[in-house]
Amino acid sequence: MIEAFFEGLLLVLQWKAFAFMLLGILLGFWVGLLPGLGGTTTLALMLPFIYAMQPIEGFAFLLGMHAVVATTGDITSVLFGVPGEGTTAATILDGHAMAKQGEAGRALGAVLTSSLVGAIVGAVALALAVPVVRPLVLSFGSPELFMIAIVGLAFIASLSAEGARGMLRGFLAGGLGLLVATVGQDPQAGVARFTFDSLYLWGGLDLVPVLVGIFAIPEIIDLAVRGTSIAGELPAGRLSKGAFEGVKDTFRHFWLTIRCSLIGTFIGIMPGIGGAVSQWLAYGHAAQSARTPEERKRFGQGDVRGVLGPGAANNSKEGGALIPTVAFGVPGSSSMAILLGGFFLMGLVPGPDMLTKHLTVTFSMVWTIVLANVITVAACFLFLNHLARLTSVRGQLLIPVILVLIFVGSYTSNSHYGDILVMFVFGAVGYLMVIGGWPRAPFVLGLVLGKIAENYLYISVARYEAAWLTRPIVLVLLALAVGVVLYPLIQSRRARSRKAQHA
Amino acid sequence: MHNRASLILGVAIMICSGWAVYAASGWPWKAALFPMVIGIPVFCMAAAEVAWVLLGKNPAARAMDFQISSDLPEGLVIRRTLLAAAWMLGFFAVIVLVGFPVAVPLFVFLYLRLQGREGWLFSAIFSAIVWALFYAIFKWLLNLPFPAGWLF
Amino acid sequence: MKNALALVAALALAAIAPQAAAQFEGKTVTIVVGFKTGGGYDRTARILARHLPKYLPGKPNVIVQNMPGANSIIAANHVYGVAKPDGLTLGTFNRNLVLAQLTKVSGVKYDMTRFAWIGSAASESTVLAIRSDLPYKSFDEMRKAGKTVVIGATGPGANTYDFPLLLKELLGVDIKIVSGYSSSSDIMLALERKEVDGRAGSYSSLQTFVERGTVRPLVRARAVEPGIEKLPVDENLAPNARAKAIMALRSAPEVVGRPFVMTPGTPEPLLKAMRDAFAKAIKDPELIAEARKAKMDLEYMPGDEALRLVKEVLSQPKEVVDEFGKYIKFGE
Repeated sequence: MIEAFFEGLLLVLQWKAFAFMLLGILLGFWVGLLPGLGGTTTLALMLPFIYAMQPIEGFAFLLGMHAVVATTGDITSVLFGVPGEGTTAATILDGHAMAKQGEAGRALGAVLTSSLVGAIVGAVALALAVPVVRPLVLSFGSPELFMIAIVGLAFIASLSAEGARGMLRGFLAGGLGLLVATVGQDPQAGVARFTFDSLYLWGGLDLVPVLVGIFAIPEIIDLAVRGTSIAGELPAGRLSKGAFEGVKDTFRHFWLTIRCSLIGTFIGIMPGIGGAVSQWLAYGHAAQSARTPEERKRFGQGDVRGVLGPGAANNSKEGGALIPTVAFGVPGSSSMAILLGGFFLMGLVPGPDMLTKHLTVTFSMVWTIVLANVITVAACFLFLNHLARLTSVRGQLLIPVILVLIFVGSYTSNSHYGDILVMFVFGAVGYLMVIGGWPRAPFVLGLVLGKIAENYLYISVARYEAAWLTRPIVLVLLALAVGVVLYPLIQSRRARSRKAQHA
Repeated sequence: MHNRASLILGVAIMICSGWAVYAASGWPWKAALFPMVIGIPVFCMAAAEVAWVLLGKNPAARAMDFQISSDLPEGLVIRRTLLAAAWMLGFFAVIVLVGFPVAVPLFVFLYLRLQGREGWLFSAIFSAIVWALFYAIFKWLLNLPFPAGWLF
Repeated sequence: MKNALALVAALALAAIAPQAAAQFEGKTVTIVVGFKTGGGYDRTARILARHLPKYLPGKPNVIVQNMPGANSIIAANHVYGVAKPDGLTLGTFNRNLVLAQLTKVSGVKYDMTRFAWIGSAASESTVLAIRSDLPYKSFDEMRKAGKTVVIGATGPGANTYDFPLLLKELLGVDIKIVSGYSSSSDIMLALERKEVDGRAGSYSSLQTFVERGTVRPLVRARAVEPGIEKLPVDENLAPNARAKAIMALRSAPEVVGRPFVMTPGTPEPLLKAMRDAFAKAIKDPELIAEARKAKMDLEYMPGDEALRLVKEVLSQPKEVVDEFGKYIKFGE
């Protein structure tokens, strides 16, 4: 296995494969950055171009492109408050808040470094998991996946505003997200739920228009109202100084970054959970790392930990998602499904063979992810100053461009005007939530986890009847969920008693 | 403003969840279970929220989320908000009327001129660049289907 | 006499070709696909888009546009009623849309019999496959064993769900359908976890797993593909004519596995040119090589044949359709 490890590196460093990787990186850079282009769509469009390539070159190209999308998507989230990709929305909450306070450089530095750490952790996990991956993935059945969704939903408690009223609003937002997730045809009885007889709503709501609406539209309105640049009235000089500060932050909170990377990798390994989930779980966990309720209040206002968590998680999940794709031939996410198509094109059959006969190819994929991210992050740091300077551009210039991008970006979901209407509706919802002081993160959690929770519950009950509740991993996850819900309450009680003691 | 928004949201959620539960009651139980199990508590919680807002019990609830900048007079904020919303809806209307490829440069140009008060030349060039990039990426490269507008 | 006919045919073709060439020259032909990028229909359309231009008079540019939504009903409606019949728009969509029309799904604005049919690029047969470590080596053995077989499915309207449902309801096989998996790949994973015993699905999607020895196909639907010819066919095991008709109705669209149509009213010469191009492109050696690499198996079925099958489906007697509608719902 060690030889394959090093041989894999040599394969990537061949000049042709390397050149294709650079090309992929260049493409992926823009795909992630522009909210209109989705990583999955572009990946699929690039497939035909790899017909003529050798397997290693083809992978270098596809993976190079894919590995980078999550990193640059974070940049758009931080700078403009617009999700560059469906998987980078969580970075908006604290990242963009930092940008508005003139700390864009610091936020970008933090997000880039944590992305790199996340990517490396994900790649290392892929490499190390090779012997254990099959039993690991096989021990997580539908009941366990349902419990993971429950743990995810439990984070709603930590992401709510403070106090009982805050909790109420958090759960309301989460409940609304869960309800919205039920729109569409249900897979048990085939009933078209809440579709108002519209063909457009048959398949349910697409994540991208909702996310773009709920996050980007309130930001744009705010920008228009303030009439300034994103960074407000702060002097331009301060902006780029912060990048190194961001890098230092990553190491200041090193264990948090590692933990969030592991969360991302883990969720990535679990097929059927979907790519949008890991960033929110990581965000929830980062929020919990605040030691007092006062500290936790700062999340959403520009706490760098809120950037580190999702930044790391959405890169590490890619390495994680590659694991079931390579080991089982079962794609861990929709972009993986397309990569799988690429595998077939190049004559490689994913499955146990990839872990034995073609181990070198697997390791070359690991190296591609690592190298692509290193190169991208290095390139981004070079341009960081220029990127951060965008936050001092007049809002009036940015607004039309951002609007064009988000309109087109939402439209690309279904090539239907309904996408834009959905964006408006949730833009209004997001705006009201921001004015009313309601947290938006629980809504997104409910939305992305709703279908998973419902379907896996039905499958678990149909298959195992009541017995699934007593499975060991299920019980562990249940305890974890309870812990996650109680944690903020215990924290505030301890803080109160500490205050009483000192009083 | 906080309270009005909370009230609107609370009432809207009450209506949506109430209607959802009502609609779900007619479905086979497998399809109805989740919407009802979630809809009923959401309805109750929304009712509680509405009640609390009306009773005046409103902590300065700051969510873990960004705050709309509040250092401007409220009248100005409302006016600018409505204006921004009007621009966005207007953009959509123009898209429906003349199709995406024409609407994009038109909107950018109008916004820069009218709202941004930029010069003619600058607005024209900026719009042209945006249009060129839009066309190159979304029409030429991705072949997105943009329906023709109602007018042309 | 034959020579005279041949001469006339050649002259007619010679007359048509420049007409068609004039229409296609310098233009762009769009294939509207009713699904998102990356799926089976999309890949079939794209591989054809790459090889059609050489066989079309005037050598136009052929591009693919995705118009997902409502399981491709939106795309079908578009090609039927919105696109102009100028020969520049093709459509490909879910093969089961004819069943949606049959069961009067609301929102259907097309009539399958009035499309200008180009044909089908492949047939996609459904099989039921069981984990290889289970002792059943044939469909009969499985039925006789008397134990409940757990089959994973994605949801009503997909062949993962409908095929075993009919086996259960009409043939009385002891099957428990566990539905709700996000995709057929998730079902495969559940299968390896021994959470489910098997799944139904298109043979092309199961082929890799069959070859790897993970699953064993036991029974198939009407359409034939190389490798599964010897399997028993579900219709042939039906206990009565009604059951056979219902199963046949479900399977019929699969023979027209990748339907390609043009807008109703497209002029004859253009339709003919397109049909010819399709037939030749599918036999093109480069396309065949590419398709093999991508694990696609394309085979041309002429438009008239496809239209005939579609008309057959739509002319089923009311009682059969009603009972069919009780089991099969057109789904997402």
